Amino acid sequence: MILAVSIVIAVIFGSGAFLILQRDLLRLIVGILLISNASILFVMASGLSRGKAPIYPLDGASVSDPLVQAMALTALVIGSSTAALLLALVYRLYVSHRSIDIEDLSTAEMEAADALERVNVTEFDRGFRDEPVQEEQADERELEKEEPR
Amino acid sequence: MTTLLVLPAGIAWIVAAVLAPMDGRKPVWSWIAAAGLAASFVASVLLVFETLEGGPVETVAGGWPEGVGITLRADVLGASFAAVSLAVLLAAFVHEVLVGVRSRTFPALVLFLAAGLSGLFLTRDIFNFYVFFEISMTSAYILTGYREKDPQVRAAFIFAVVNLLGSVVFLFGIAAIYHVTGSLDMEVVAERIARVKPASILPIATSFFVAFSLKLGLFPFHFWLPAVYVGSHPSVAAILSGALANIGSYGFLRFGAGLMPKELGFGALVLLVLGVASIVYGALQAISRHATNEVMAYSAIGQVGYILVALAIGGPVGYAAAVVYAIVNALNKALVFLASGIRGPLAGAAFAVGAFSIAGVPPAAGFVGKVALFQTSIDAEGTFRSAALLVLIFVGSALSFLYSFQVYQRGFLAREGGDNRRPSPRAARTLTVALAVLVLALGLWPEPLLVLGEESANLLLEPPNRGLAEGGAP
Amino acid sequence: MSPRTKGKGASSFGIGTTSVLTETVARVLLLPTVVAAVAILVKGYAQPGDGFAAGVVASLGVMLQHLALGRREAERLAVVRHAPILAGAGLVLSLLVATVPLLLGDPVLTHYPRPGGHVIYLGTLELITPVLFDVGIFLLVFGSVVGTMNAFARTISEEQEYAGPGDSGLEYEE
Repeated sequence: MILAVSIVIAVIFGSGAFLILQRDLLRLIVGILLISNASILFVMASGLSRGKAPIYPLDGASVSDPLVQAMALTALVIGSSTAALLLALVYRLYVSHRSIDIEDLSTAEMEAADALERVNVTEFDRGFRDEPVQEEQADERELEKEEPR
Repeated sequence: MTTLLVLPAGIAWIVAAVLAPMDGRKPVWSWIAAAGLAASFVASVLLVFETLEGGPVETVAGGWPEGVGITLRADVLGASFAAVSLAVLLAAFVHEVLVGVRSRTFPALVLFLAAGLSGLFLTRDIFNFYVFFEISMTSAYILTGYREKDPQVRAAFIFAVVNLLGSVVFLFGIAAIYHVTGSLDMEVVAERIARVKPASILPIATSFFVAFSLKLGLFPFHFWLPAVYVGSHPSVAAILSGALANIGSYGFLRFGAGLMPKELGFGALVLLVLGVASIVYGALQAISRHATNEVMAYSAIGQVGYILVALAIGGPVGYAAAVVYAIVNALNKALVFLASGIRGPLAGAAFAVGAFSIAGVPPAAGFVGKVALFQTSIDAEGTFRSAALLVLIFVGSALSFLYSFQVYQRGFLAREGGDNRRPSPRAARTLTVALAVLVLALGLWPEPLLVLGEESANLLLEPPNRGLAEGGAP
Repeated sequence: MSPRTKGKGASSFGIGTTSVLTETVARVLLLPTVVAAVAILVKGYAQPGDGFAAGVVASLGVMLQHLALGRREAERLAVVRHAPILAGAGLVLSLLVATVPLLLGDPVLTHYPRPGGHVIYLGTLELITPVLFDVGIFLLVFGSVVGTMNAFARTISEEQEYAGPGDSGLEYEE
């Protein structure tokens, strides 16, 4: 039993780790979900050493610790909410970058960083993080537009 | 008194739930949120006084017998971390409200974060700690994307991915510790770990170390930190570095010094090396950067190195120094990030106070932290080690003075006269200045800080005295 | 991605069209799902089941509407439009049940009547405060799942309307 569970955890974890190394962000998310599910299985396994799973009705046989089941359920809930969050983030990234390839995103990041360096080296007085004035005004107009809703 | 224990998390949580469906951009809701946050903060401060006078406050949820129900506990360490984190959250939130909230979920998210943080600092149950930890982390992922420009969304994605992996590592550690000790109650776990062979605990201790190092952004685990702190909005960066990063320092103190002191002792050399590497790496990178936020992000990597060094040396002096440094660092970071986001008169002065506090220049609070560290290094065993640490801390401080001054000069001095942009609202500036005054005041009158540090250290060094709770190990 | 026809039968998530059979089954299944959810919620005190599972089952029923009938049809249900309010109300209800004992001088999460006290039965359902707590959890889970899915569906369908027919707006090159 212990060997079987360990192998399952190892396979799930390994697949997750493999997917995390992919360029496609959706695969990366699936990889993270697999790894977090491996950890939940590990939680379950930490209590599965005394008997059968504690599922009602109990037939008198010794059952394993039910506390880990509660912990696993909690961890699953947390996992599902973070999965929704990650998918939303990827969707948002797709909308703004028209790509979910990690290379494209890091290129965009690099460009932003380069622009930042240039601004700071050549134009001291502008300072960092002060977005150009026009952009800020545009931002405020956008805000006003949204307000009445 | 047990009521007080629930209030910091409870108030924030209920207000957050009420605000969640509302439009947080309307000032009414923002101010209600601020009031809830302030009430939470006051409760946590009262809790600090309560624990200083009467020792830890405990209650078992649901009125169950001890060992069955989840135990909530406030001691000096937890209560002071809760108070500091809530103070930072309150300052950053009010600052953002004064500048103008741009997202409908912002107030509710900050309150969820406050509930999560105060919950995790005020519990004695490891799994409960994990749940509150996830509540605060999840709100923080969304907060990082606040304002929803491309850099912010990218920062949120990086932050979420890296820290989710950290949480997974933490969960593995929790499962393992439950398997080994058969309990999730911190006191019972500490007591049972003391009787288990360290060989079986060391991997668990390592997984906790990795998880908390990721939160803190310690040297080999820092790769995500600059991108996130630079990408996020200044108030959010203040929240992340001043409130959320406290989880890391608290985790080191509680799980390292409190639960696994023996294993911490084994790893002392590793901690020392990583701490030193963090200090040097952070300082050198900070000097080579130009943008204010980037410098401060790398500086954050360096600053947590000091906490780790203090922890590695250990003992009453080391733990006290770690607590004091963690608190001071949280306030410094909140101050510099908030000050870097505002413009106009006195913004430069407030930033200068924060920057020089980081460098440890008296009379700012950072000086107190540095003095505590000096004491710690003198306390370290072996003359050579002491001398090396003293030199290191001195060099580290000198480097941080250098980059602080560079940033100040570039960002605020060089700008005089040429700055024709609209200054930030007066109220936002006043708030930042008030935070700066607080940092100065703590530097001039450091007794409260030192008392908190000392009491926390005593608490951590106390041997686990509670007998074995019912229910044997598996 | 396969070509699609956009019409009443289009699913919320751009997965293509659905047949009449699916649509009918989806409509018919909504009520039984809700009944099953309530049963799981109520039975949770003597047998397996709780507010969380009930919330998930109930939200699956609504999800089916989304998948089979599309967003506009699904949004005709009032609970779908007000899902965030439901989630907030559920969380507040649960938190209140957890914290009200503090006012009575008991620890958080204490349930009433205390063990051994007199309990009113409604069939097999014991009327105790944890039932209220679970109802809160039910609302929270249902509200957040439905709310999240609805938000996804709305964003995607807005994008599709923006992109016009023939372009799902979701394709990406490998």
